[in-house]
Amino acid sequence: MEDRIGFYVCHCGSNIAGKVRVEEVRDYIAGEPGVAVARDNLFMCSDPGQEMIETDIREQGLNRVVVASCSPRMHERTFRAACQRAGLNPYEAFHMVCIREHCSWVTEDENEATKKAIDLCRAGIHRVPLQYPLDAKVVPVNPNVLVVGGGIAGMQAALDVASAGFKATVVERQPTIGGHMLQYDKTFPTLDCASCIGTPKMVSVGQNPNIELLTYSEVEAVDGYVGNFRVRVRKKARYVNTDSCTGCGECAEVCPVTRPNEWDEGLKERKAVYRSFPQAVPITFAIEKKDRAPCVLACPAGINVQGYVQLIGQGRYEDAVRLIMERLPLPGVLGRVCPHPCEAQCRRAEVDQPVSICRLKRAAADRVDLQSLPKPEIEERDERVAVVGSGPAGLSAAYYLRLKGYRVTLFEALPLLGGMLRAGIPDYRLPPEVLDREIDYILGLGVEARTETRLGLDFTLSDLKDQGFDAIFLGTGAHLGMKLRIPGEDELDGVVDAVDFLREVNLGRGGAPGRRAVVIGGGNVAVDAARTALRMGCEEVRIVYRRTREEMPAYEEEIEEALAEGIEIHYLTAPVRIQGKDGRVTGFDCIRTELGEPDASGRRRPVPVEGSEFTISCDAVIPAVGQRPDVSWVREEDALPLTRWSTFEVHPDTLQTGLDGVFAAGDAVTGPATVVEAVAAGRRAADALHAYLQGGDLSSWELTPAVPEQTGEWAEIPEGTAPEARAEDELLPVEGRAASFGEVSLGLVEAEARREALRCLNCGVCSECMACVEACKVGAIDHSARDEIVDLDVGSIILATGFNLIDPTPMTRFGYGKYPNVFTSLEFERLTNATGPTSGEILVRDAEGRFDRPPESVAILHCIGSRDVNYHEYCSRVCCMYALKYAHLIKDRVGEQTAVYNFYIDMRCFGKGYEEFMNRVQGEGVKLVRGKAALVTDKAEDPEEEGRLIVIAEDTILGKMMRVPVDMVLLCTAMEPREDALDVARMFGLSLGRDGFFLEEHPKLEPVSTASAGVFVAGACQGPKDIPDTVAQAKGAAGEAISLSAFGKVEVSPMTSFIDPDLCSGCQTCRELCAYSAIEFDARRGVSVVNEAKCKGCGSCAAHCPSGAAKVSHFTDRQVFAEIEGLMA
Amino acid sequence: MDAVTPFLEVTEAIKELGGEDLERCMQCATCTGVCPWNLVRYFSPRGIIRLAQFGLEGFESEDLWRCVTCNNCVIHCPRGLRIIDILRAMRMMMNETGSVPPSLKGPLGSASNRGNPWSGDPEDRTAWAEGLEIPPFEEGVAHLFFTCCTQAYDARNQKAARALVRVLRAAGVSFGMLTEREQCCGDAVRKMGGEEVFGKLLENNMGLFEEKGVRSILTASPHCYNAFTKDYAEFGGDYRVRHYTEVLDEAIDRGRLTPSIELGKTVTYHDPCYLGRHNQIYEPPRRVLRAVPGLDLVEMERNREDSLCCGGGGGGLWNEVPADERFAVLRVREALETGAEILAAACPYCIIMFEDAVKTLGKEEELRVVDIAELVLDSLEEA
Repeated sequence: MEDRIGFYVCHCGSNIAGKVRVEEVRDYIAGEPGVAVARDNLFMCSDPGQEMIETDIREQGLNRVVVASCSPRMHERTFRAACQRAGLNPYEAFHMVCIREHCSWVTEDENEATKKAIDLCRAGIHRVPLQYPLDAKVVPVNPNVLVVGGGIAGMQAALDVASAGFKATVVERQPTIGGHMLQYDKTFPTLDCASCIGTPKMVSVGQNPNIELLTYSEVEAVDGYVGNFRVRVRKKARYVNTDSCTGCGECAEVCPVTRPNEWDEGLKERKAVYRSFPQAVPITFAIEKKDRAPCVLACPAGINVQGYVQLIGQGRYEDAVRLIMERLPLPGVLGRVCPHPCEAQCRRAEVDQPVSICRLKRAAADRVDLQSLPKPEIEERDERVAVVGSGPAGLSAAYYLRLKGYRVTLFEALPLLGGMLRAGIPDYRLPPEVLDREIDYILGLGVEARTETRLGLDFTLSDLKDQGFDAIFLGTGAHLGMKLRIPGEDELDGVVDAVDFLREVNLGRGGAPGRRAVVIGGGNVAVDAARTALRMGCEEVRIVYRRTREEMPAYEEEIEEALAEGIEIHYLTAPVRIQGKDGRVTGFDCIRTELGEPDASGRRRPVPVEGSEFTISCDAVIPAVGQRPDVSWVREEDALPLTRWSTFEVHPDTLQTGLDGVFAAGDAVTGPATVVEAVAAGRRAADALHAYLQGGDLSSWELTPAVPEQTGEWAEIPEGTAPEARAEDELLPVEGRAASFGEVSLGLVEAEARREALRCLNCGVCSECMACVEACKVGAIDHSARDEIVDLDVGSIILATGFNLIDPTPMTRFGYGKYPNVFTSLEFERLTNATGPTSGEILVRDAEGRFDRPPESVAILHCIGSRDVNYHEYCSRVCCMYALKYAHLIKDRVGEQTAVYNFYIDMRCFGKGYEEFMNRVQGEGVKLVRGKAALVTDKAEDPEEEGRLIVIAEDTILGKMMRVPVDMVLLCTAMEPREDALDVARMFGLSLGRDGFFLEEHPKLEPVSTASAGVFVAGACQGPKDIPDTVAQAKGAAGEAISLSAFGKVEVSPMTSFIDPDLCSGCQTCRELCAYSAIEFDARRGVSVVNEAKCKGCGSCAAHCPSGAAKVSHFTDRQVFAEIEGLMA
Repeated sequence: MDAVTPFLEVTEAIKELGGEDLERCMQCATCTGVCPWNLVRYFSPRGIIRLAQFGLEGFESEDLWRCVTCNNCVIHCPRGLRIIDILRAMRMMMNETGSVPPSLKGPLGSASNRGNPWSGDPEDRTAWAEGLEIPPFEEGVAHLFFTCCTQAYDARNQKAARALVRVLRAAGVSFGMLTEREQCCGDAVRKMGGEEVFGKLLENNMGLFEEKGVRSILTASPHCYNAFTKDYAEFGGDYRVRHYTEVLDEAIDRGRLTPSIELGKTVTYHDPCYLGRHNQIYEPPRRVLRAVPGLDLVEMERNREDSLCCGGGGGGLWNEVPADERFAVLRVREALETGAEILAAACPYCIIMFEDAVKTLGKEEELRVVDIAELVLDSLEEA
């Protein structure tokens, strides 16, 4: 068919014609091939302009139309519609050339503008014949609406959508809806109370059956297109059930953890379980949790360290002990002898020193009479378990098995229970009464004990089976001392192994080993043996160790105490032989060593120094160079597999030995290790035994329930946390200390313990002390809750994500963060609010930071971070008005004698009733200083200024510098975009403006639409605005969403990509490039396929497709090349 | 009627001379508030700009010559206006009509006739370096060591210059000097509105640099540094310019220079405006000082971006200012408050101003004014 092109060039008043000689363009194009009609018009978009096109199509038989006017963003739709009315396919027939934005507005010279316009028009004439018919697709619209943000904009939009009969889902990041407006006290210019007008909205949103409220939730992903969005929302675990929580607040009463309350801008504290403010919707509390605290993660037994430390801080020792005993039945013991790996991880060390956790545990244990604790309810079971060995592993296994209801019998070879706790640790470190108390408690639960009954001697494993035990736990420890392997060791009298020596002394059977003793070794056993020898009457005790003090494995405090008691330590000294006479020890030959290369253990190997031998004269030698389990009782028929270190071979998770139903843990498995590791392993074995006895399949048995992933995210250490000394134990005076077995460490006094506990930084925020669980009468608290994912299908989305306030700290000259009485606007809002830190009284702080007195004068500094190219160039729009509101509130509440100064650049009081409000406030005597404040200082120049803040500015009207002494400075900090505005914009397909706020589609005519069809914006996320404007915009956005929902269908552009399956090689390059996830791969056919509903026609795929299979409708290669040729012609 | 009538031709003339930013001033007065003059007396850059916006009489008053171009107003101006350029344009107008304060006529005239503002004989320009045997700058030499006029002719600063040369040598830096044909960089001249004289100096120096193939310039003065990096760049100058503190910092970092003699002194460092606020070089001088063993570096409350100007820039060096209005006196008091025994600087102007202020206050026994290069030299074993 012959091309019959109609060409129309628009004057746009003088917008185009002022620079482009329109007639010349018309006449030039009239001469182009195929052009049947060429006309110009003052306004092509006017009705007569459109009619001209329609008439020409009908009367002149036009089949193509080119209009040269403004940007297609303005009127492409207008002209397409005109073509369609005249019977043409608009995509085939119509093309628009932009000669306003691209020519007249951006070109100075008339000739150049005209030439450029002609070139562009010619390009259009060349391309239009190659267009082909396309049909806009109509897709159905899901009537549901998503509103992101529950501030005043989001609430209003949701209410409007709901009242139109459609369903709205509000997703709010905070635990409550309300937003910034509900933090305020009064609103300008009418001074109505923000919560009086805001809470009714909150309640309506909460109660409206058409509104679904997802608080403490965030949108994670958005998929789909206008009318058909799929949105993934993460409902963060709030650990409090919204259905049952009544909001009574008992939980917060008992919660030991305090945090700065965000709602009060940190001016007030809240608990880890909290509600932002009393009228919150939902009224439900929420619990803030971070990753489990490093101390908890470090504890081999997994004790909730942060939890019990917090309870101790509150003086709730019984609760603390019960919490400890969930994981460790020997709090008093471990409070004395634990190597406390938790303290090494404590983040308090970043401020000063770790919290003294171990001592706190003891402090709690010493203050609780275990017998007075309520007996746990035990559900009895029939199965019997034999626990062999009553050391820490055995006691722990027995305790936890007993709690599960098993009938437990403890077998102990020694006359007293406690294993190494009894036989290995001297009384001055662990008084026997402490151990007895805790063992008695375990026995009191119904654990039977048989002492002086040694496995292998008095009974065998098979005996136990015969006696009807269903399972056996072996916690037999490592009680055999290792040999020095030097001459004289075995034959001389006066050589006694440290383990044997300590056991005999601890059981009351031993005596002094001699007058002058040498202990060999550097571990705790060596130090214990040395100090015990001293207490048994030795006159002189030395320790000989091969390496230096740095490598000594004994605890630092033990070494310190030993040295203080007069024990001499020979470092870098190795044993050579023991000298004797008449079968008795007379001396000990040693050799000096030096440290060489590191050995397998990573410690530097001691190398003897030739010719450095020397002799220590002595009559007792106590080797303390290691222990191993005594497995002499294991007979071949037991078939119990052992390692080459004589320890039991066990499954690493279940701790079951090679024998069915026989489990083992503690030193007997690991070789000599710490008490806390043995306790932890005993508890683990109890769990495994339980699973075994209940017939569970141990092969798939999981050691511990799945724990949340470790994020390493902990509570931030509050700025300005002052260093405080760590509580240290009082010790028995050194004089005379070594003469008795009295406990050396006296423990912490109560006040010290509580103060020490408060040094804890609450890394995990919630300490999981479970106090709230007990306090909650309706059982609403669930610490095991997990985040939930909610998928929503909606047709449109309203973004109402609000704003942040700029942090004025970097603008040091205003003194924020330096002077306690410089406040941001939002802080002042909280100060005036009845639910705020001062219950609504306007007060200033004293030197300690306490709000204690009303200000006599106040300065309000405008434009802090706004109207300033160094921060935000834009005007924050609301500050002038709220500054006047503050001025009024100060006059009203503090008294009219209070001087109030506003330092302003320009007063912008443009809204309804605003100028009138300014007039009223000025009438109240509020001073307006025209000049931006330059400096806030506390450097007084005269007595009047002493102790006050001085604001310095030039009053530009007077032409004089002003110094104004005040008691309080309020900074009108700029509204700025949310910190994650860019991420949110990307997620929803929006752009950001230069100011960083969400960009609307057109600043005047499309104020709530965005670049993404079906996504609308409302409120301060689009730019700084006050409440009236926010509400108006929210209603506008709701209107747009409702239109879509009500109409039920929407046209989507046919200008999308398609992939020619015959050409596609299936390389999938396009899939990776597509920003809209619009391309799927058809594995069966081996080709990529475009989902036209999702495709935005951006052309990335077409540009990159190596085989030329991907094309964009309306922008085919032929069309684009024709346009370029027209341009160059 | 007693009223003023705008005289916009004057406004246009100021704009043409480089003060076009003046139209965008919103009169917020931040400049006045942060101007160091208001520590001692009322001075309103805003007021001057206001007069200029309407071409009204008064902007040309003596206040116009107060500005020491410390840049504090520029970095804080909410509209980002180049306020120094606005005032400079006005001073240029005054130069054109010959209405320059008598005190500035000397330096301007000398710069024009002798190529330096100190009325020094051009023949003597390199006299300070006698005996140091500094090689001439030629191909193969890394840096041109550009002599600041103040170091060439002022006796106190000559000492600093000589110390610097010895330190640079110890660091193994390759540098050479130009002949007596080298002239003043022209920074102060230009800031005083002497655009024509500045043009002459610039032409001479750029020609000389071209002739000798100078690509890299090492300056002792932050003012020269600023002139080459910014003013000369306006006219096509393209040099790699380093302040000596940057060069020393680098040499220390690379282990080529190791101050080793314990100094045992408490030192406070004054950020020169043209090193700090104009060019954001705050840390290299401090790192150099910290590298000196036994040197305890203490800060004055106003430091880095907040540093208080010595009063020497923009012609301030030649302005007659009563003792109680001298910024240098305030600054020396601030230095004394820190308990420092030494006030370290890295700018010849600052050294002149502070030496003078220390004498004014009679604190010669308590506080010594020392160039960083001199401190480093004292700490070198064999220099």
